[in-house]
Amino acid sequence: MAASIALKTFIGLRQSTPENNAIVLSNPTAVATSPRRRLRINASKSSPRVTGRNLRVAVVGGGPAGGCAAETLAKGGIETFLIERKMDNCKPCGGAIPLCMVGEFDLPLDIIDRRVTKMKMISPSNVAVDIGRTLKPHEYIGMVRREVLDAYLRERASTAGATVINGLFLKMDLPQSKNAPYVLHYSDYNTKTGAAGEKKTLEVDAIVGADGANSRVAKGIGAGDYEYAIAFQERIKISDDKMKYYEDLAEMYVGDDVSPDFYGWVFPKCDHVAVGTGTVTHKGDIKKFQTATRLRARDKIEGGKIIRVEAHPIPEHPRPRRVLDRVALVGDAAGYVTKCSGEGIYFAAKSGRMCAEAIVEGSENGKRMVDESDLRVYLQKWDKTYWPTYKVLDILQKVFYRSDPAREAFVEMCADEYVQRMTFDSYLYKRVVPGNPLEDLKLAVNTIGSLVRANALRKEMEKLSV
Amino acid sequence: MASIGIITASIQRACTKKLSTQATTGRALRTTHTAANVVVPKLSEKTDNSHHSQLLTSHNPKELEHGIHHPENPDEQLSNSDRRFSDERWKNGTWDLNMFVKNGRMDWDSVIVAEAKRRKILQVYPESSVNEEPVLFRSSIIPWWAWIVRSHLPEAERLNGRAAMVGFFMAYFVDGLTGLDLVGQTGNFVCKAALLVTIVGVLVFRRKEDVENIRKLVDEATFYDKQWQSSWQDPDALKEQIIISKKK
Repeated sequence: MAASIALKTFIGLRQSTPENNAIVLSNPTAVATSPRRRLRINASKSSPRVTGRNLRVAVVGGGPAGGCAAETLAKGGIETFLIERKMDNCKPCGGAIPLCMVGEFDLPLDIIDRRVTKMKMISPSNVAVDIGRTLKPHEYIGMVRREVLDAYLRERASTAGATVINGLFLKMDLPQSKNAPYVLHYSDYNTKTGAAGEKKTLEVDAIVGADGANSRVAKGIGAGDYEYAIAFQERIKISDDKMKYYEDLAEMYVGDDVSPDFYGWVFPKCDHVAVGTGTVTHKGDIKKFQTATRLRARDKIEGGKIIRVEAHPIPEHPRPRRVLDRVALVGDAAGYVTKCSGEGIYFAAKSGRMCAEAIVEGSENGKRMVDESDLRVYLQKWDKTYWPTYKVLDILQKVFYRSDPAREAFVEMCADEYVQRMTFDSYLYKRVVPGNPLEDLKLAVNTIGSLVRANALRKEMEKLSV
Repeated sequence: MASIGIITASIQRACTKKLSTQATTGRALRTTHTAANVVVPKLSEKTDNSHHSQLLTSHNPKELEHGIHHPENPDEQLSNSDRRFSDERWKNGTWDLNMFVKNGRMDWDSVIVAEAKRRKILQVYPESSVNEEPVLFRSSIIPWWAWIVRSHLPEAERLNGRAAMVGFFMAYFVDGLTGLDLVGQTGNFVCKAALLVTIVGVLVFRRKEDVENIRKLVDEATFYDKQWQSSWQDPDALKEQIIISKKK
């Protein structure tokens, strides 16, 4: 969604990951007795060669995660099946992608509808701060239409050799023995048997679950639940002169009226704006929050026509279990959405690619059967690379979204150039830049000062009554 | 005086318009009406709920589809959400500090109170953020000592007073129990340790709620880590954890 405001001040102090104690190599005995394997991981070099054919992998879900996974798998020489239920699905999504995604995934520039180079953050008392002064001319946040992006990635996967199936995944049968295949049951929409689709089955050796927040693959492996936020969005078509204001500017509104633990936004899309808000704790009041968001942006979207209303769950943290046997979850299905900013597209695509790379490597380009240990390589790599990002954004959300005074302090802090520079650096390039320690100290002092002032004002506010 | 200020402001706004004619007429219509209805500076009046709900219904999808952006009836203009915060000392999006001078000296206390009042009003009656009237006030303009004098010193006085009373009676009781007089108590290691613990405790736990707050903070700080690490843990232990955290 919007730019993440990541204060990378204390990054680099903690490098070790907490998961190092997890992998235990135990002797491969008594596998047949326990259908649910706990941490019994066997080295895959002892896996048998897959004779006569390549490894078969099914990718369930054709969004950014599924598309990138399928492409990497197909390029690695693995027989890939990409199952997607709705090829022209217009997803309710902010649609913001960081600059590094364009480079890393070789996206053509015409996929990007708009380049957002300015952001406005508006506090509960309508203090508006402009962010983006520090961006260089070639830097921007790309706004894409999800149907365009998803279709492009699927197309690329198909060109690389994946078989794209238009169907709805129903359920999967877990294998009864060690190297038996998974059996997927799905409704194929391609056939001519009408709208209901024809029930078919597919036998594969491994499954990548990329089917989003309400993942059926996750249910199939008992991956557990996560806390989720509801994001509610209305697409509003406004007049051209009002649209000019949003030419390359996105807005973020914070406040208790707009959302108790998230923010409201106005993002420009191709020819309309998306006005929305989200919440974790007060899902029942989402319509009220949406009205408040529309009120706060009222003057700028006046005269607009609502052309579409949409809502979607957004995971708050990864599912308890992301890998089981030869099934791995990626993207929203795994819960890879950051806090504070709610960014998910880049992480979905990246996790799809990482998982696929792990499978390709573990199977030696499709020659060997994969194992849980190969998929855990992907988990390890992912956690090591991105856990600090998630943790920092979690801290920011806890500190700055907790109350109106905190939000006022947050907006005040965003006016600082150093903060803006660090934020955009970490958001656009997904890299941790060690900041200047003196500036960090000044920033810390200013943050504390802002928080203290805002809280003091809140105490005064409590004494008054209006 | 308020109405004069508003009329001049509205005339200024009407003259410096760069928007399309539609928006101009809309805004001019609104400003002339707010000038006609005098807005009281303290904004303590409450409009009745019918206006409030009317404005909200005009924003529902059906009406918006027909492109209605202003209620046709001008009488509905002055409703809750149309009303903007105004105060004689609030000019051009910031507090005019010259108006807070009392007896020749700057009265920061009233600035703090005025800003708190503005935020309170906006909290109860949220307003739309308008680009032409940006809020330029930053609370950092108030000097640090003004905050201390207003918020910190009274509480410090209260705590010090309580500490003094408690200290006196504790010294009395310890003297009665152990026979150590004040000079002897200050030399005794146990007494000094107890004094340190008491001081730290008072600083950290000032009110009853602080105990609960600090425990919740510790839980919050470690919760996210627990959620991430659970991929590597025993699924049953994890289920218990999730149930416990849901109960909280």
